[in-house]
Amino acid sequence: MEEKKQYIEIWGDVVEIHDLVRSIVISAISTMGLYFLAPSGNRTLQLFFGLAGASIGFIISGLLTKPKRIIDSEDTKHHHTG
Amino acid sequence: MDFLLLIQMFFAALSAVVLYTFIGFIPGTDETSVLMPISLALILSGADPMIVLTFFVAAFITLNLTNLMPTALVGLPGGVLSAPMIDHAIYLKNKGKSAVTVKKMAAGALIGTVISIPVSFLLANLLIPFAEAIQPYASLLFVIGAVFLSLISKHKLLSLISIIPLAILFQSLRHLYWSTGVVPEGTNITTSFFLGITIGPLIISLLQLLNKESQSKVLTESYKKIVIPKDLGKEKTLNPFKILSRKELKAASFSSLISNIFFVLSPVGLILLFGETVSNRIKDPDEKATTTITTMSALAQSTYISGIIIPLVALGIPLSPTSIGPGSALFNAPPVYTVENNLFHILSTGEKAIAIILGAVVASVLSYVIINKYAGKISTFVLEKIPHEAILGLFISFILLLSYMDAGLINIFGVLLIGITSGTLNKMGVNYGIQFMTLYAAPYIVQLLTSL
Repeated sequence: MEEKKQYIEIWGDVVEIHDLVRSIVISAISTMGLYFLAPSGNRTLQLFFGLAGASIGFIISGLLTKPKRIIDSEDTKHHHTG
Repeated sequence: MDFLLLIQMFFAALSAVVLYTFIGFIPGTDETSVLMPISLALILSGADPMIVLTFFVAAFITLNLTNLMPTALVGLPGGVLSAPMIDHAIYLKNKGKSAVTVKKMAAGALIGTVISIPVSFLLANLLIPFAEAIQPYASLLFVIGAVFLSLISKHKLLSLISIIPLAILFQSLRHLYWSTGVVPEGTNITTSFFLGITIGPLIISLLQLLNKESQSKVLTESYKKIVIPKDLGKEKTLNPFKILSRKELKAASFSSLISNIFFVLSPVGLILLFGETVSNRIKDPDEKATTTITTMSALAQSTYISGIIIPLVALGIPLSPTSIGPGSALFNAPPVYTVENNLFHILSTGEKAIAIILGAVVASVLSYVIINKYAGKISTFVLEKIPHEAILGLFISFILLLSYMDAGLINIFGVLLIGITSGTLNKMGVNYGIQFMTLYAAPYIVQLLTSL
């Protein structure tokens, strides 16, 4: 069975819906998960744990997801058309 | 002055430069959403106020410059402030002049910073005598601010009409939380509401994906095609006076100077106003584009600098869009800072000057050199390695975290409600500045309405 890829343009860049949902779920779980691991009552530590969780989620979803960009590196001098 | 503190401040500035260099290169990262949570975290961690201020200044100066890079190199706006220059940047890119654009942006930003810091301090000192007289009327000033920003915006009547309903939305959520005992009565939730406004347009875009009809409108077949220019390192000079022509230098300096007076207006509005004024006076298309880009880069720095320095040194209340938005944590970050006891009250003018200048010098010098030498490499790295999905996931998790911390589970949905409302208003044409002002003005507006 072939999975149908759905690309959408949002906020000036292209994403794939399943990848987007997965990234949001991963980030949400890692952020709130670490938040609840912090000692309750200590607002500062909770915030730091949460932000650390957000960074971890960002790295994991960054590694799992392929950017939907075709990057071309070009010599600018060929462009001088006047 | 403690030498150890100075060292710590230096390292705070350094870490701000490293962090925000990378964040800036990511296209589409809103300045407020990336500056506010991290400065808030630093404040809540109990960092010395001097360190907080140094970090914040270094952060936004670096971010404002690095945000220009995706604009110049790949034609995607790096943040809100770079959106007005996108057409000019794409024009130059298509002519194969990205390398020159990058240098002119960096030099323009430097000019904006160098001019605005002394001018802002001067203006702040002129304002101090008046500031004491107006401070008791802070809550009224926010109402006037919201009305004023509406009157100068593109959609005046629409903006004016939206003020009171929005104020009622904010206050009704606050009263709901008080009456259900989620937060103690009198605690004015601001941080998460504020982020709800910021992220509103994104929430609307995401929710629209759940509607099959509107989803089909944004569907696309292909990946985003991006061309990164290769030979960026050709021009070796770092001297801004050689990079810029006399005309560019004059336009950038003059615009920065004048923009400082208008610190109560929104930075992006000022960039458009002054940038397009400069642009309309030049005939030659190449010269027009480079001069506009240089001027707008200078304005990105000058508007932020005056928007932070003047309220921080003279007023003590966040009366500019910059201080009420990205810099809001400096003025209000309960329980550490409150509207009555924030950086304005804690630090002397001399201390503020030291922190601001140290942050600005470290950030300007480092980011100027980094941009001139490595703009192409960093841009390629970011675009090849960082997927847009992960960035959107990061924003959503920021919102979840700060909403939950402010008032528990119910506030996640409260902030969603704010996001839907603010995002809709935003798409209709009510800008961020008006909505932020309304958030601060809300208690007074509702009190006024019910006492009439």
